[in-house]
Amino acid sequence: MPRILPTELFALLSKHVGQDSAGMELRWLRAAARDPHHLQSLVSRRTSGEPLQYILGTQPFGPLELLTRRPVLIPRPETEHWTLRLAELIHPSSQDPISLLDLCTGSGCIPLLLCHLWPPGSVQAVGADISSDAIQLAVENAHRCGIHVSTFHSLLRATDSNGNTFTPLLADIRSLDFAQSSALRSPFHLITSNPPYITHEDYAKLSPSVKAYEDPRALLGDPQPTPYGKGLTFYHDIAKLAAREGFLARNGVVAVEVGIGQAEDVQRIFQEEGRLRETEIWRDPWEVQRVVIGRR
Amino acid sequence: MQQRKDVESQITDDTTPDDRQRFMKTLSETDALFTEWQEWQSTKELLDETHAMLRDPDSSMRAMAEEEYTTLNDKLSTALQTTFPKLLVPASDDTSKLSAYVELKAGVGGSEASLFVDDLMRMYLRLSQSMQWDATVVSASEIDGGGFRDAMLEVRGTNVYDSLRWETGVHRVQRVPATETKGRTHTSTVTVMVMPIPEDEASAESSNELYSLSDVRIEVMRSRGAGGQHVNKTESAVRLTHIPTGITVSMQDERSQHQNRRRAFRILQARLLDRKLTQDVIDRRDARRDLVKSADRSEKIRTYNYAQNRVTDHRLGLSVKNITAVMEGEALKDILDGLVKHHEASVLESVLAEA
Repeated sequence: MPRILPTELFALLSKHVGQDSAGMELRWLRAAARDPHHLQSLVSRRTSGEPLQYILGTQPFGPLELLTRRPVLIPRPETEHWTLRLAELIHPSSQDPISLLDLCTGSGCIPLLLCHLWPPGSVQAVGADISSDAIQLAVENAHRCGIHVSTFHSLLRATDSNGNTFTPLLADIRSLDFAQSSALRSPFHLITSNPPYITHEDYAKLSPSVKAYEDPRALLGDPQPTPYGKGLTFYHDIAKLAAREGFLARNGVVAVEVGIGQAEDVQRIFQEEGRLRETEIWRDPWEVQRVVIGRR
Repeated sequence: MQQRKDVESQITDDTTPDDRQRFMKTLSETDALFTEWQEWQSTKELLDETHAMLRDPDSSMRAMAEEEYTTLNDKLSTALQTTFPKLLVPASDDTSKLSAYVELKAGVGGSEASLFVDDLMRMYLRLSQSMQWDATVVSASEIDGGGFRDAMLEVRGTNVYDSLRWETGVHRVQRVPATETKGRTHTSTVTVMVMPIPEDEASAESSNELYSLSDVRIEVMRSRGAGGQHVNKTESAVRLTHIPTGITVSMQDERSQHQNRRRAFRILQARLLDRKLTQDVIDRRDARRDLVKSADRSEKIRTYNYAQNRVTDHRLGLSVKNITAVMEGEALKDILDGLVKHHEASVLESVLAEA
């Protein structure tokens, strides 16, 4: 039951996140706090810039509640929105299972939500990330969501296991031998990714809540700093993977999240370098072009 | 009773089996009423006979008649006040299983109204506890300085909607605010709206009998700037607009859009069901030549006067001279019972006027 709080806490939070959000954030922090003293310490973490999701330790993502832990990228509402939409677009079944590769998987939010929403035995997912913190968290999240974690990826398992499986893969998706990794069993029917896409120029201007807490490897679109970089490095790599013989299945789909203003560039990269003839752009709920879909 | 006679006269040897079944159904539906009606008539006859004996020259005879008269009279009034209303008030919209959302909105009176939202919310939470209903706060917008701009409770249990539905309307509070230095009494209001929760809530996010999904506009609130990886602030508020009616539902209390959307759809569904039930009452009232007063949502239904320690329900014309007892829930139960009876009585009145 809500009770009136010391107005100082509310005022402190208001200054930091605005009055509209302060009321809500205070309610959520209060629900997480053990006692008034603890609440005060949670509020002070928040006002010093720590993201709410790290303080609370979880973030809802569709019907799932995922663990969030510094420095792994916090799942965003835009990603939740398009993943739910993708889940409606593709209809795998246990008779007709698909193989899914999620690049830069982070908390595992995209493949885990798809594994949760699609019927049991219909999807075998691999989630790759360069960060061991991310891979560790993705595995914990899979367990938390009741999704079977398998060390080796193989579509053959789909028929003999009752559930969907998630295979974590600690790897650099940009390295030349990534596609030959023994953990990958191509072809994939679906490749998803929310790769880092922020330009160095934008990164400098980000809120400290993002910059000081979340892994720059999950945010910076051009790992090697270039003054005029457009944050598109990973899209070139993803397009090259998709173009590899036998990597993306016939009629396979590639779905990637993009930053504001990048959709058309990524669309062109997909067409020119990814051998993806049919492409489409999806908008997020705020009307920003947010996702590029490519079909073989 | 006339309908029953009509039906009975229609049952003849050459009635088709289908018709017979239909007639029998009508008869069985009115069986209880028929029994009570016969009982009423024979009691009435007895009463008339007893009435004549009241003038009997023999004094012991007169005493007996008086006693008899009182008993019979009591029996008739019970029938009139309790038995007939139950039988005559149409049970067609069975709302007894429905749970409800209780929405509270601060009206006139500034921060006093916001504080009163808090007080009323606690009142309904305590009532729920003593009724063994399961009540949760689904949304509450706290304001700086205490109290709430608005709040929504979800109350689950049997008879919740039927018991609470007459709480809809304007609740007025008269008291001296803590901040008032000259000791003046302020008047503020809170608008309460009680909405039934449909039994098939699962269908809220798809087209259903109350609305088509294509008539619902879904919007996100507030700008997120670049959004995506650039921003990690929680931005989960959702607003639904039901285009044909203009009804809007905003929800921001959950931490994800998905959850807010789901809640908002459930509330939209409850709003539209409320609208439908209200319309049904109005239609029936119109059919009954305007005899039942409909609940006007902007009507002042109750006053909580702290200075006089008194709660007055304006529809019942009832004053409870113990404000704490109402706020703690116990005396509120009596008011709610009174309102249910009041409703039954007014429906009965119109049914009888029609007959």
